[in-house]
Amino acid sequence: MAATLPHQDLVAAIPRLRRYARVLTGEGTRADDLVQDTLARAWEKRGLWLAGSDLRAWLFTIMHNVFVNQRALARRDARNVSIDDPDASAAAWQLPVPATQFTRVELMETMQSVARLSPEQREVLVLAAVEEMRYEEIAAVMGIPVGTVMSRLSRAREKLRRTNGDAPLQLKVVR
Amino acid sequence: MPMPIDDDALNAFVDGQLPSARVAEVEAAIARDPELAARAASYRAQNVHLREAFDEWLHEPVPAALIAAAAKPARTTRWLPWAASFAMALIGLVVGWSGRDLVLAREGIPTNFAREAAFAHAIYSADARRPVEVAASDAQSLVTWLTRRTGQTALAPDLTSVGFELVGGRLVAGNEKPTALLMYENAAKQRLTLQWRKQSPGTEETQFRYAVENGVGVFYWIDDACAYALSGTLDRRQLLAVARVAYGQIASAAQSLPPH
Repeated sequence: MAATLPHQDLVAAIPRLRRYARVLTGEGTRADDLVQDTLARAWEKRGLWLAGSDLRAWLFTIMHNVFVNQRALARRDARNVSIDDPDASAAAWQLPVPATQFTRVELMETMQSVARLSPEQREVLVLAAVEEMRYEEIAAVMGIPVGTVMSRLSRAREKLRRTNGDAPLQLKVVR
Repeated sequence: MPMPIDDDALNAFVDGQLPSARVAEVEAAIARDPELAARAASYRAQNVHLREAFDEWLHEPVPAALIAAAAKPARTTRWLPWAASFAMALIGLVVGWSGRDLVLAREGIPTNFAREAAFAHAIYSADARRPVEVAASDAQSLVTWLTRRTGQTALAPDLTSVGFELVGGRLVAGNEKPTALLMYENAAKQRLTLQWRKQSPGTEETQFRYAVENGVGVFYWIDDACAYALSGTLDRRQLLAVARVAYGQIASAAQSLPPH
């Protein structure tokens, strides 16, 4: 088992982990809990990290798995009325931050249309468009075939395009 | 007639992931086809807005708790407290004894795993001198031993994230099959036990359930023909938080997810 993980790199990865956790959970406090669980799991599983390989992709994979397991557990809870816990029920994805945080109204609108995507579409879209991960990496993180990544990405983008009409076009287009 | 540009190619083009040999082809198609051009432009604009919106989160200050979580966790082996209170031992004795009566009274009837787990917890967690047979310091042989004796691959979940350290483990005589018991303890000397017992093949899986038996809270579930119970005198919410962590680790070990 590898003795250690690169501590500086782990700390540096935290903002991105928080962002991915918010995308998954749709809620700030639960997101930070998920980051904490992910870091703890990373230390437990440090023997599985290949030194020098992409730490972000490895951490994202752990986070995805931790999240999926916790959600499965929450579903079990939710089915059992006697232990129903308001925190455990899977809440709809909301803006994890106050709307006032956005410096421009378009950005808040973008976030709102992202909120209307299915969780699977949202996750793929953010990993591809925001994290700029390669499709193969996204498939590995989520444990799905590349073809599934591609079809979710297509559907997410078409849905965004339709919900916004073609409004984004009037804004600056790069390149 | 050039090949039509499919969705995958268009997405890869927009994300800069299209093989360079095909870029010219897609650019030519976009020049010919206003509908395709509109989609490409829309997707690119989406990327710009998504990055801008989501990048705002990267500039927030990071909570100290998360920075602390990035540090290597300290592995303190805390040995048993000599001073587990006399009162607790007494309560354990009383609960344990009444439990024994109940089990005896139900002889012949399949006994309730959760109730048994609560009894075992009450009896052993109150034992100040010898709560476990194998200490956590010998974790590897503990796991091997429990695996062999219960016929179920043992796993000692790491509960340090919720403040509990492994004390050790023991075997508990079950009705049909031996039950493995792991004991954990937190800084406040509260103890938890995680127990599991292999069920007959084909045993129906149950949902995550909660029961209180003589003041001991138990979360229990049956997964993959193995019954699990997490018991303790914590309140339900705290116990649930621990159960989540334990369940998650057991479930993900069972799936034996490939490392990436």
